[in-house]
Amino acid sequence: MTTTAERRVPVRRSRRGSSEALYSTIATAGLLVLLVVVLQIGSVSGWWRSAILPAPSDVAVSAWHLFGTGQFWADVGRTTFEIAVSLLIGLSLGLLLALGFWKAPFLGRVLEPYLMAFYAVPLVLFYPVMIVVVGINAWAVIVLASVMALIPMAVNCWVGLAGIPPVYLKLARSVRCSPFQTLWRIALPAAAPFIMAGLRLGTVYALIGAIAMEFTTAQAGMGYRIRYLYEYYSTVEMYAYITVVLVVSMVLTGALVAAERAILARRGSR
Amino acid sequence: MTAVQASAPVRPPRRRTVRRWRGAVPVGSVVVAALAVLVWHICSGLTFVIPSPAATVRALVRDLGDPGYLQHLQYTLVGSFWAFVIAVAIGLALGLLLGGSRWASVIFEPLLVALNGVPKIVIYPILLPIFTLGLGSKIAMGALFALFPVMTNVTTGVRSIPAVYWKLARSVNCTRTQTLLHIVLPALRRPLLTGLRLAVSLALVGVVLGEFFATRFGLGRVVLQAYSVGNYADMMGSIILLIAISFVISLVLWAFERRVR
Repeated sequence: MTTTAERRVPVRRSRRGSSEALYSTIATAGLLVLLVVVLQIGSVSGWWRSAILPAPSDVAVSAWHLFGTGQFWADVGRTTFEIAVSLLIGLSLGLLLALGFWKAPFLGRVLEPYLMAFYAVPLVLFYPVMIVVVGINAWAVIVLASVMALIPMAVNCWVGLAGIPPVYLKLARSVRCSPFQTLWRIALPAAAPFIMAGLRLGTVYALIGAIAMEFTTAQAGMGYRIRYLYEYYSTVEMYAYITVVLVVSMVLTGALVAAERAILARRGSR
Repeated sequence: MTAVQASAPVRPPRRRTVRRWRGAVPVGSVVVAALAVLVWHICSGLTFVIPSPAATVRALVRDLGDPGYLQHLQYTLVGSFWAFVIAVAIGLALGLLLGGSRWASVIFEPLLVALNGVPKIVIYPILLPIFTLGLGSKIAMGALFALFPVMTNVTTGVRSIPAVYWKLARSVNCTRTQTLLHIVLPALRRPLLTGLRLAVSLALVGVVLGEFFATRFGLGRVVLQAYSVGNYADMMGSIILLIAISFVISLVLWAFERRVR
């Protein structure tokens, strides 16, 4: 009796979950359409000045033109480069650091207050220092964005690794896994949910940080261009850039959340 | 689940080794800090663009004696305070709504979660004409930065309230207000405190980034001005001051949070 109940519950839950996911998707799409419609009607019928909030149709046309310009792709390329390099450095160093803390707990305990402090410290404020030291270029952004990606990655991976049931590692020893096999086949898969959470948070933090820093002062990049267009009163183009940044980062966040849920669901079903 | 990690940074694990090293850990942490200052000092000797730690402290002490500087500081702190208060009010309301109502979460949660991952600074040019160039737009920016950790923590907090609490509320015929004040809010105190702690530094950073942009007062402007005239000791001093403020407040809240069980 109990087994059937146990078997049934997940099925029911997943069915309800999928219908809720469907409603969620429909509602989200509906809200976005509603927003665009309200903005369109509002600006066409003059509820506000279109110099402040232009009509979505104008923004769409402007965005379409932008996609044909080299300037736009140069900005996209710059920001993508900064974020990609930061993620590569920050996430891999974060994982290595977590492995180090896992193997040498004393080191972890000593550095712990500083790792936690980074959550409380607005790292972006170091950007003026970075541009003084490194210069106004992509690397000033990359250094800080790497640190922003590193910290959530290191903390989450560390928690994940330290939480592995000891029996897993005993198993590894009893079947004589090499250290590499223990890591690759046992430790990392066991800590996967935490590693995924670290990846997601690290990516989001690096993205937010990089664009905020570009916005402050830079020579190129999406954040820089939005500010530049603001200062030159190119409102429609500015909105096109803002829309691109919002859409890309929302899609990225959504994809990371979905990937994380998929991994958790797969583990749950096994 | 993962939503908790999204909002509340997970705490590093406490393990058996702690006991063995208890005395050595704080000493080690202090050594790390001392090493960092030493490295900073050595780097400042290598290039003129990095002010030495001593010069930074001197500049900061001199600035703090200047009434004009204190006015900038006050401006930033007042802005951050209101940003924080507004963020907590909106974040708490949204969190209660998302956590309490199934339909609200089905309809609004995906968009709000996605917005959390958006670089909110790009919305600043939109906020500027709405909230004017003065303090209003900075407060709006800070509130926008800070409301998400409050919201996500409250949402997961409401969802993890044990079902028996709700049953109790119904069995003693609580009104909605009574349930909220006497059952939900006390049960939420820990996630709420976590959200508040994270909101502090975000409110401050939102306001200061706003001041980087277009303003007449505030430490953000002081930093940028010191940068543009090459007065790096003053710049560094103000940055350290801002970071110290958000660090100390977070630390106090963290200590408080650990005591509230």
